[in-house]
Amino acid sequence: MTVTPFPGADTLASAPVFDIEKVLASIDTMAAQRPVAAQIVSVANSDDTSAKALARILASDVALASRVMKLANSAYFGMRGRVTSLQFAVTVVGFTTVRTMATVALTNLDDESRLPEDFWDVTTGLALAASSLAPRFGERPQDSLCLGLLAQMGAALLHHNDREGYGEIIASEPTYRGRRWAESRRYGINSLRLTSVALEQWGFPVSLTTPLKEVDDDRSMDGALLRAAFEVAARLTTEDYEQVPIASLTCGRLREDDLVPVLDQVRADAAELRRAMLGETAEADDPAENPGERTA
Amino acid sequence: MSVSISTAEHDMVPPEIVSTVFYSATVSDSLAILVAETIGATQRLTWCNEGAVQLLGYGVEDLRATALSHLFPTLGKGELKLLLRRERAARMTLPVRTASGADVEAIVIATPSPGGRMWTVRILSTANEQERALRATADAHERRFSALTERSPIPTLLSEQGMRLAHVNDAFCSLVGLRAEQLLGTGWIDTIHEDDLDGVIEQVAAALDGDEVEIQARLVRDDGTLRTTVIRFAHLFTPGVGAGFVGTIEDITDRLAFEAKLAHQANHDPLTGLPNRTLLAQYVAERFVSGTGGLACLFLDLDNFKVVNDSLGHTAGDELLVEVANRLRATVRPGDLVARFGGDEFVVVCQNVDEEAAVTLAGRVAHALAQPMRLGGVDIRPYASVGVTVQTAEHGVAEELIRDCDIAMYQAKAGGKGRVTVLDQAARAEAREKLRLVAELRDAIERREISLYYQPIFSTRDGAPVAVESLARWNHPERGAVSPATFVPLAEESGLITGLGLLVLEETCRQIAEWDHLLGPAAPPRANVNVSALQLDDNLSAQVAAALARHDLEAGRISIEITESALMKDPDSARTVLQQLRDLGVELAIDDFGTGYSSLAYLRHLPVDCLKVDRSFVAELADGHAEIASAVIALARNLNLCTVAEGVETVEQAEELTRLGATYLQGFSLAQPMTGGHTAAWFAAHSEDDA
Repeated sequence: MTVTPFPGADTLASAPVFDIEKVLASIDTMAAQRPVAAQIVSVANSDDTSAKALARILASDVALASRVMKLANSAYFGMRGRVTSLQFAVTVVGFTTVRTMATVALTNLDDESRLPEDFWDVTTGLALAASSLAPRFGERPQDSLCLGLLAQMGAALLHHNDREGYGEIIASEPTYRGRRWAESRRYGINSLRLTSVALEQWGFPVSLTTPLKEVDDDRSMDGALLRAAFEVAARLTTEDYEQVPIASLTCGRLREDDLVPVLDQVRADAAELRRAMLGETAEADDPAENPGERTA
Repeated sequence: MSVSISTAEHDMVPPEIVSTVFYSATVSDSLAILVAETIGATQRLTWCNEGAVQLLGYGVEDLRATALSHLFPTLGKGELKLLLRRERAARMTLPVRTASGADVEAIVIATPSPGGRMWTVRILSTANEQERALRATADAHERRFSALTERSPIPTLLSEQGMRLAHVNDAFCSLVGLRAEQLLGTGWIDTIHEDDLDGVIEQVAAALDGDEVEIQARLVRDDGTLRTTVIRFAHLFTPGVGAGFVGTIEDITDRLAFEAKLAHQANHDPLTGLPNRTLLAQYVAERFVSGTGGLACLFLDLDNFKVVNDSLGHTAGDELLVEVANRLRATVRPGDLVARFGGDEFVVVCQNVDEEAAVTLAGRVAHALAQPMRLGGVDIRPYASVGVTVQTAEHGVAEELIRDCDIAMYQAKAGGKGRVTVLDQAARAEAREKLRLVAELRDAIERREISLYYQPIFSTRDGAPVAVESLARWNHPERGAVSPATFVPLAEESGLITGLGLLVLEETCRQIAEWDHLLGPAAPPRANVNVSALQLDDNLSAQVAAALARHDLEAGRISIEITESALMKDPDSARTVLQQLRDLGVELAIDDFGTGYSSLAYLRHLPVDCLKVDRSFVAELADGHAEIASAVIALARNLNLCTVAEGVETVEQAEELTRLGATYLQGFSLAQPMTGGHTAAWFAAHSEDDA
């Protein structure tokens, strides 16, 4: 992999020094290592997919299946432990969510050693905020949850492929928007755009990829929900964060008052969603714990 | 059919196939295909087909002069390489800029050639007419659905995932007093009463699984009040997304309250608010365990309540009952039941008490009731007679307990009012005996075991028998003959009198018809049938007419005897009934005349034919007291009525009565009551004697 070290502020505007295609190619390599997850990502897209069919495939990946079960029984879905079969768990969380969880597994987002610091704190915040705010933007909460869970996939890939350079971007840019500008300068593409390319590649619906592309266009309503979700996540996870008025981020759709219950909701559910997404313990997340998947 | 496909392993695709495919791609106008190539630092278009020309509006030459990036204005600098990958095909959804400057939404798929320097770019416009129409239809459906649910007065929930709500309508918001944003997601779960939540989740699970289910659940409103609802869940499946549910909510709080009110009304006395007889029976039955003790009943009956009602009016009477109820409630122990049994009767049921404690309570109750109260400007003391019963091993069923304390109350009354009496065993045995007799009487009437005897009545003019009186006899298989003086009042008390009366009427008519058949002209000309006061209603004349008709008899063959006291109970209605009978053509006699305090003026207006001089006045003749018998006979004669003197025991009495002017005589000395068969023989013999 060709990674040119971070060239310094004076050369930031120069041509990208990062072979993005290799990053994208690495996703295909990861997919080959998690064939069950890869199969779910491709099957769950189809309109004639059934919970039964998905559950049958899911059953071959014990770690992933247990996470789906855990998520189905989490407070987020309100089922209070009533979900005892994998098929019913798939029904409860929905196909898009199962697909999202498979994508998380596929891209090693469940391996925190490969991720930027605070990755999951931010991701759960993004996902829950997007889900809570979705009805205000005419979106399905479930799709928005998935959008939030996957949005930072590009950042994880950049971090993994250029740990040092990406670390410097994070250190120098406290805001997500600033970080995206820096990413574009350094890699020729920002992390959300990279996520959208990858998701498009796997056939995720346009409704999921469009917000990723339009997040930085403040006049675009399609990006407004994600902008708002990033603002909520930043307020909850960034120290000394300088708040951006929510109305300006959402074309006037939201007022500050609207965020109060959302912030509470995110705080309440974040830990449990994180546990469900990552498995019970850090050890259980180690791919070595899932030899069947490795050797498949 | 066999298909031969060339593979790389064998050889290159034959040139003719390549040219065929290439030709079809070139001229296709439904497929937009371009070829891009890296020339220097940029990617330029080197070829395009007819479809691309049509879609993009450029001439072929213009396109060749165009940089590929120009077609994709949203791709930032350096992002074109995300589309033009060297090792694999890439797919993006993005706007494509046409020659006119307008953007067309499209899916763009770029496939690299093996060398990695050229790409085939396919552009699939997503903005075609058909898709737009489909989307418009879907949007219209969506709008119709949301309009329907939004404006529906039925509270409606819509979940797209598990318990998470994607939508609630205004009706649900107002039902629970919260805003939609507080309820969406899992917020609505907090509105379900904690004790009902498990059940609701279970039903949601069933609905997500494809069932249609419903559950009764309480919802907690924002202000803390509860609404009881029925929630109906229906399965909802969105292809490619998963399962959710539609929930509709019916608020049944008011209906349940109304039903509870009705149930309360059915079990409570509206005047005093006390449990009524139904609830009392239920209450005692629930707590009664046969063979144990511990239950006690107090039966209270207000003394002289009728006096209050009659003198101060019903409103005052009601006021008294309410006051009594309040005093009872205040006097009994916590946990004791106070019920209004009916009228001025109340029952108190206590648990875990012995006789001493029950009597003490009864004394306390009597004392509390006897405190003076002011009613209609008058001070009165509502004394009560109280019967007390404590459950013993002899009580087989719950009703016996209440019945026993009812008996005890009557004993208390009989003992002189305002008393407390514990059930006396002898009284209890007597009462039970009476109950048994009633049951046996009922059976006897049903099985027609009551037989009729007939006692001839003679004319004083020539001594000839002119009629018979039908007399009911009950020959009990174990008890022997039961006197009519016992069983007739019993039948009247226990509601059996109508059945008994009909039996007598029917059997008499049948017997007359039989006599006619046997004796012809020698048959008894007429039979007198006794009718109870309780039979004096509008049905009587129809029943008599029916019995006569059934046996094809003239109305004049029957005479109806009614006691004077029966007529005086409700003189106006009695007169109406008598008139109906008279219109029918039957004769009417007043029985036991002289014992019932008739108003003579009234007597004159009654449509009767005959007075029966009571046997007590006939008996007085033997003592030389002929005054009353004489007066009655004279009175009858003056009113143009005939007379029957009953209970004629001696020849002297017969002679004296004849002398006094009585029309007919009846008595043991003349002829005893006989069975129907004996009566026939007697009349036959009499007829022969006369001949």
